[in-house]
Amino acid sequence: MTSLGGSSSSTTEYTVRVPKNTSKRYNIMAFNAGDRVNCSTWTQARMERDMSARRIYGDDESAEGAGGSEFGKKQRDEARRRKYGIITKEFKAEDQPWILKVNGKGGKRFKGLRKGGVTENASYYIFTQCPDGAFEAFPVNGWYNFTPQAKHRTLTAEEAEEEWGRRNKVVNHFSIMLQKRFREQERGGDDEDESEKTGKKKKNIGRGGELHITDLEDDLMMSSDNSDSSMGEDADGKSKAKKNVGKGKKKKRKSNDKEAVEESDDGDYEGLEVDYMSDESSSDEEPEKGKPSKTEEHLKGIDEASESEEESEEEKPNEEEAKEEEEEEEGKKTPVQTEKKKKKDSSGESESSDDSDIEGETASALFMMKKRTPPKRPSGRGSAGSSKTGSRPGTPSIDSATTSNTLRAAASKLEQGKRQNQGPTESPAAKRLKMDPSSQSPAPSGKSTPQPPSGKSTPSSSDVQLTEEAVRRYLIRKPMTTKDLLKKFQTKRTGLSSEQTVNVLAQILKRLNPERKIINDKMHFYLTE
Amino acid sequence: MSERGEMDLTGAKQNTGVWLVKVPKYLSQQWAKASGRGEVGKLRICKKGNLGKPEVSFTLNEELTEIEGMKNKSVSVPRDHPFTMQSVGGQMLTVFTENSSGQSEERSDCSSSGSGAGAGPDKLALEGVVVQRAECRPAASENYMKLKKLQIEESTKPSRLAVQLEKAVTSNYKPVANHEYNREYERRKKEEGKRARVDTQLVLDMLFSAFEKHQYYNIKDLVDITKQPVKHLKETLNDIGIYNLKGKHKNTWELKPEYRHYQGEEKTEDS
Repeated sequence: MTSLGGSSSSTTEYTVRVPKNTSKRYNIMAFNAGDRVNCSTWTQARMERDMSARRIYGDDESAEGAGGSEFGKKQRDEARRRKYGIITKEFKAEDQPWILKVNGKGGKRFKGLRKGGVTENASYYIFTQCPDGAFEAFPVNGWYNFTPQAKHRTLTAEEAEEEWGRRNKVVNHFSIMLQKRFREQERGGDDEDESEKTGKKKKNIGRGGELHITDLEDDLMMSSDNSDSSMGEDADGKSKAKKNVGKGKKKKRKSNDKEAVEESDDGDYEGLEVDYMSDESSSDEEPEKGKPSKTEEHLKGIDEASESEEESEEEKPNEEEAKEEEEEEEGKKTPVQTEKKKKKDSSGESESSDDSDIEGETASALFMMKKRTPPKRPSGRGSAGSSKTGSRPGTPSIDSATTSNTLRAAASKLEQGKRQNQGPTESPAAKRLKMDPSSQSPAPSGKSTPQPPSGKSTPSSSDVQLTEEAVRRYLIRKPMTTKDLLKKFQTKRTGLSSEQTVNVLAQILKRLNPERKIINDKMHFYLTE
Repeated sequence: MSERGEMDLTGAKQNTGVWLVKVPKYLSQQWAKASGRGEVGKLRICKKGNLGKPEVSFTLNEELTEIEGMKNKSVSVPRDHPFTMQSVGGQMLTVFTENSSGQSEERSDCSSSGSGAGAGPDKLALEGVVVQRAECRPAASENYMKLKKLQIEESTKPSRLAVQLEKAVTSNYKPVANHEYNREYERRKKEEGKRARVDTQLVLDMLFSAFEKHQYYNIKDLVDITKQPVKHLKETLNDIGIYNLKGKHKNTWELKPEYRHYQGEEKTEDS
């Protein structure tokens, strides 16, 4: 090494050597800038070739000789391939991707794909400086681009398409993967115990993996019920150590499956009234269909609740479920309910998917009064509603089979309820009702306006604006639909959660017993003084 | 000894910095011809005071400027090659090496040179991180232009050429009374004669041993194996086997269920 001192510049000369007898093959491992890979943090690393393509290319047949093989099969296949000009590329171990595992089992995983065309027109050399100051140049054999591999579960293309279709309605995206896990779990065919365990485990894992905003996950999730699965899953997933959770979940899931099976038509749910805020679509059939199931579920739920706890039945979610399932669920719901009830109290709004519809809740509240009979149609309305959002059993968004889609339906139910009303007294019912709608969650037809969870919990209707007087005034002035009424008492101004608003409104309407008239195909209430 | 797949991370830990240099093809060819310890040239790094960017240039050794195949020395490889320095950019580039086991750097004096096959697992090591990228460019000189001209001339030559023949090729497809191939065939047929029936028992033995090897056979293959006339063979087959018309192995014969014992079991001969 000679150094020539210059006046202002210094030049140093180094010898460059290209070692000849090296058996080491140099390769480049390229990482993307965004991945922020820092090699110095690696404590240990393992790398192997990914030979999974060998099966495809090399057609390793295991059925050699004896059972299942034909005489001369290989030759015949070869001849056939030649005849049709099918040229299969041979399997080159050199070109296979690398699998790099950093920091052991819990660390990152990378896949390195070989980049073609690197050595075609120009050669790359690695210049390293030796202790003696000379440079050594090694030719680069191959260039591999390493990308991190996702360890978290991902959706397949079909599932992603589905969820995309529901993106406007689903509010709680965390539940998507949770449900997917549940679904897979069930498909795995575990028995009760297992599901229970896995339910718990999933819950834990779920917590670890997802972003948990609050411990009271239930509040964030679909509030209700209906979607059995979603509810069940949510509840199960999130509630701590509920023994029956696993079971309930399983049951719920089953019902969800049924639900899913039924709701496969996309077109059915078009034009459903989704939200009192979104465009109105009149769906008469939906509500009608849902009515019986919903009401029944509701009522049954209430009764149960009154027996066990005050908790409303959100759990009734599974309207779709078969009767037995429901019964079983009821039992299981109890422990879950307490928790849910607690949560409900605190947040008051379950959100998850689509729309928490106040409408729906009102309707459900109204339905509470009816005596419940097991819902016959599984997918029923709830599914209908949910189907909009993606009738997948698991999605929390779907659900509330119980609530009717539209307030109109709710109103009609109100009438029925009035007629058959022999249910529990209003006040306890009111409290329960308040709980209920919350659990019911949003309505079926994909309303997707996210409702800000209000922290209020007192179900009482005491509030500045939402009083019977106010409602009476409105109804006297001009006929209004339930939607309109709800618009008047917006959650922001009244301070109530949407569920509570719905409940209270329902009660008020019951008390007022307004007249009904159909204007523009919509059910309007009015009072004449 | 590191186990298979385990990477040696000493390079990463030391944060060894290396340069990634893109070198023109002709230069790498010349480098491959280096002798002895592999010295190919000199690298000169010139730092202009504190501010200026360092200028790096590489000078090829005199002995390596000869181009193979050009004995007349009209064109030779240029000697001066300034380096264009580039930053690595956002990418993180590291260098790893594969070393087929059975030979390692330290044992370079070892006479055994069977490293190519890589009989054992490869040793992987992370050598370092790329800190600088550079491109080796030839200094524009007459020499280089001539070299390039040569390369272009070579590359424009078509790889396939159509040449007209003066005389038509008559070595094949002469009209002939009977082609050689046909004659061959007839001779063979006569030699072998018709397939004679042998004892049924023998045929059965042959069939069983054949079916031991494969489960499904075409009738033609069986005829080949047993050298029996088809009719006789079929009769025998009807006794012990069944003919598959449908399914995956269509038009094949297989043994009857009671006769077969596949999956490793010894087949018993029943007749």
